[in-house]
Amino acid sequence: MRKFAVAALAACLALPAAAQTLRPDQQAFRGIYKEMVETNTTLSSGDCTLLAQKMAARLKAAGYPDSDLHIFTAPGHPKEGGLVAVLQGSDPKAKAILLLAHLDVVEAKREDWTRDPFKLVEEGGYFYGRGTADDKSVAAIWVDIMVHLKQDKVAHRRPLKLALTCGEETNGAFNGAHWLATHERALIDAEFGLTEGGWGTMQENGGKRIALGINAGEKLSQNYVLEVTNPGGHSMRPVKDNAIYRLAAGLLKIGAYDFPTQSTDASREYFARLAPLTGGEMGAAMTAFARNDKDAKAAAVLAQDPRFNAAMRTTCVATLINGGHATNALPQRVTANVNCRIFPGTSIETVRAKLQELVGDRQIKVTPQAARSDPSPAPPLTPAIMKPIISEAAQRWPGVPVIPQLEIGATDASFMTPAGIPTYGFTGMFFEPDGSRLHGLNERIRARVLYDARDYLTDLIKLYAK
Amino acid sequence: MRYLISAALAASLTLPAAAQTNPGQARFRALYKELVETNTTLSAGDCSLLAQKMGAHLKQAGYPDADLHYFTAEGHPKEGGLVARLPGSDPQAKAILLLGHIDVVEAKREDWTRDPFTLVEENGYFYGRGASDMKSQVAAWVDTMMRLKEEGFKNRRTIKMALTCGEETSTAFNGANYLATHERALIDAAFALNEGGGGRLNAAGKPLMMTIQAAEKFPQNYQLEVTNPGGHSSRPMPDNAIYRLAAGLTRISGYAFPVQASDITRQYFAKLSPQVGGEMGAAMAAFAKDPTDKAAATRLASDPSYNAILHTTCVATLLNAGHANNALPQRADANINCRVFPGTTPEQVRAKLQELVADPQIKVTLADKRSEVPKGPQPINPPVFAPVEKLVAKMWPGIPVVPSMSAGATDGAFLTPAGIPTYGVSGMFGDPDGNGAHGLNERLRVTSAYQGRDFLYEVVKIYANQK
Repeated sequence: MRKFAVAALAACLALPAAAQTLRPDQQAFRGIYKEMVETNTTLSSGDCTLLAQKMAARLKAAGYPDSDLHIFTAPGHPKEGGLVAVLQGSDPKAKAILLLAHLDVVEAKREDWTRDPFKLVEEGGYFYGRGTADDKSVAAIWVDIMVHLKQDKVAHRRPLKLALTCGEETNGAFNGAHWLATHERALIDAEFGLTEGGWGTMQENGGKRIALGINAGEKLSQNYVLEVTNPGGHSMRPVKDNAIYRLAAGLLKIGAYDFPTQSTDASREYFARLAPLTGGEMGAAMTAFARNDKDAKAAAVLAQDPRFNAAMRTTCVATLINGGHATNALPQRVTANVNCRIFPGTSIETVRAKLQELVGDRQIKVTPQAARSDPSPAPPLTPAIMKPIISEAAQRWPGVPVIPQLEIGATDASFMTPAGIPTYGFTGMFFEPDGSRLHGLNERIRARVLYDARDYLTDLIKLYAK
Repeated sequence: MRYLISAALAASLTLPAAAQTNPGQARFRALYKELVETNTTLSAGDCSLLAQKMGAHLKQAGYPDADLHYFTAEGHPKEGGLVARLPGSDPQAKAILLLGHIDVVEAKREDWTRDPFTLVEENGYFYGRGASDMKSQVAAWVDTMMRLKEEGFKNRRTIKMALTCGEETSTAFNGANYLATHERALIDAAFALNEGGGGRLNAAGKPLMMTIQAAEKFPQNYQLEVTNPGGHSSRPMPDNAIYRLAAGLTRISGYAFPVQASDITRQYFAKLSPQVGGEMGAAMAAFAKDPTDKAAATRLASDPSYNAILHTTCVATLLNAGHANNALPQRADANINCRVFPGTTPEQVRAKLQELVADPQIKVTLADKRSEVPKGPQPINPPVFAPVEKLVAKMWPGIPVVPSMSAGATDGAFLTPAGIPTYGVSGMFGDPDGNGAHGLNERLRVTSAYQGRDFLYEVVKIYANQK
């Protein structure tokens, strides 16, 4: 009920919501968040190092000595740097908690967006901008917590470590989390880490919160390149065999295909627990699928929702195409990138072979790109991890369960967990059915969701740090 | 016959062919090499540099600076050109203009077998970007201008040569358009000779005919665009910009525009028919007699070169979509390059493409406008045709001279409307596959280059003293 009242209130206020309803600490947080979103950190034209420096300056102002602020860059990647900050704990024997977030964002073209993607715009109860959800929401909360604990001298036993890194969003780019795990393992050493992922679900338009999620395993992100070459020629003299048409035909076949449904213990539990909260035809399908993952009727109903579809099978989708070299020449080379999210247990080669079979054309060469990481085991959901999460959630959102789920995206946890720092995808944030438009146009997050998650995570980290 | 013997000779010789040439040919080959090896692509090349190099050769041959006009337009420092003049003895006689573009289509080293910007002579062919389109003819123009000056040739009419940039890219600065608009007096002429004509060989290398290009199709680019809210690729949606565009392109690929004919194409097929013979020759004769003969048109359409002058053609040339490998595409674009048959409007073709894609979410728009839509073909002009006929009869007895419509576009589209009727005359024989022009591994037969040089030199001399 409280939720609805707040939403209704926000909607009927004509004045900027930010100024009207925020506590001073929330205003300070909003400043961090705004600076993050408005510092472009795309691979093409952004600068993660600059943003890392800005955050280090904030931490320094909060009282961190220089010796606890480590700005790092790898040779050859001057703009892909990051920051590790350490807040010492009272118990020198206690192991640290790692707060991990990536600073970089997916490319965003101003001409495609309704608003400037690198300007934090608050409108209709949402924050709009590239990274407002992925992952500057989490990064800003981590920085805010680090500032708060230092500035307000909050007592805590364990050290806290903040790692802000670059390169999470682009396969093939320099990855800061990977680099830290390889080169600065001691600096980031921790008993466990928290990072993005495990987004909760809520109804649209700021409706009811349905469930919180915590990652229990990830799908593997793997890119495949499809390539067609052709002798080309002058476009005034078209010939039957055309590289663009050949690739277009192949892509249509991939687009029409659904991989077989699969499940893990975690994904069956996820659907089983979500079923009663969802209800109706969809809820019934969840129950049926949790019982039998080959139930085609149930799968067909679940597949209508892209989130559920992604949680029950390998998916592949064309994300990039590039072909031709002149407007007046027949294309000599056309390539497409097909991005697959591979269900645990399926190999990269199995998917490649399937794609090659699907295109049904030997002249379309399908090759896997370099793998982003090895498949990562799911970190164990121990009581020490889960109890604080569940108790804090129960207090704030009674009746909203915390459900382990298969992460359909890929996160930097896949570098940390194999390096011996079990890292959990958990944010306390809820997404509406549009998935917050991560990686897409007009990315956004509900302002109330963000502020609540900040309060929640602050209390959670204090609990863990005790 | 002479042609076949030299081809056989070239093929059987293992020594570098260059060594076989006479000194005049060697100099022409050096010009050709310099032209090909000076990159003049829009992306990385420099036409102004090449124009200066050619101007330096002319100066060395005796042209005073006053007869060498370099030009560049503001904002286009690397897209310049050169106009050279060899004044004639009769101030009343109108000049003739030798026109050539020195820019080339883009070429990527990794896609080619050999370096596209090195002139490689191999197995009787010259390979390189521009080897055929059209640095071979430019080399012959410069070579001719040098020889005429050096030999003290007495020309009644002034001979002008214009080397320009920007022909190959419809949105780029176009030097011929610039001259026609800003330097009309400098290039004034009774008519211009340009690329677009030439000899056609059959697959076995036998000359079939010599064409004079007197009409051309109208090039028009169309942009197909699909937009989508996109999203995270871990969560594919049923509606996808790439698949939508792919489906539209697939529908366009399956369509053939209705067959059309003009006086020029009918004459062309009629004259070519006995040369080609067989089933294809019969189809040409039948089509020339009755352009509604469907069986004949279908047979002609099986050859891409004939297909190109039977109707409007459209083909996808560029495709671009997406912004990250892990994001659903927000935008997918394709360029469709059409060659519009005279009499059809660009808007009619646009409407047809929009109908073909059968998806209102695929927006089809006219991408640019290279030149004005031509009003009609040039006259089949006897003073232009007669010298070519005379010379072809001497050099390649029995080979007919045929007016043709070019499927490609040339800078004639700018000069003809400016009152300088422009004809495609090259004397160079090309292979039926199009010689890789605009494509990979562009090439020209060595014999075609040298014979074309001889032909152009002689034909310019005839025109220069024509009454």
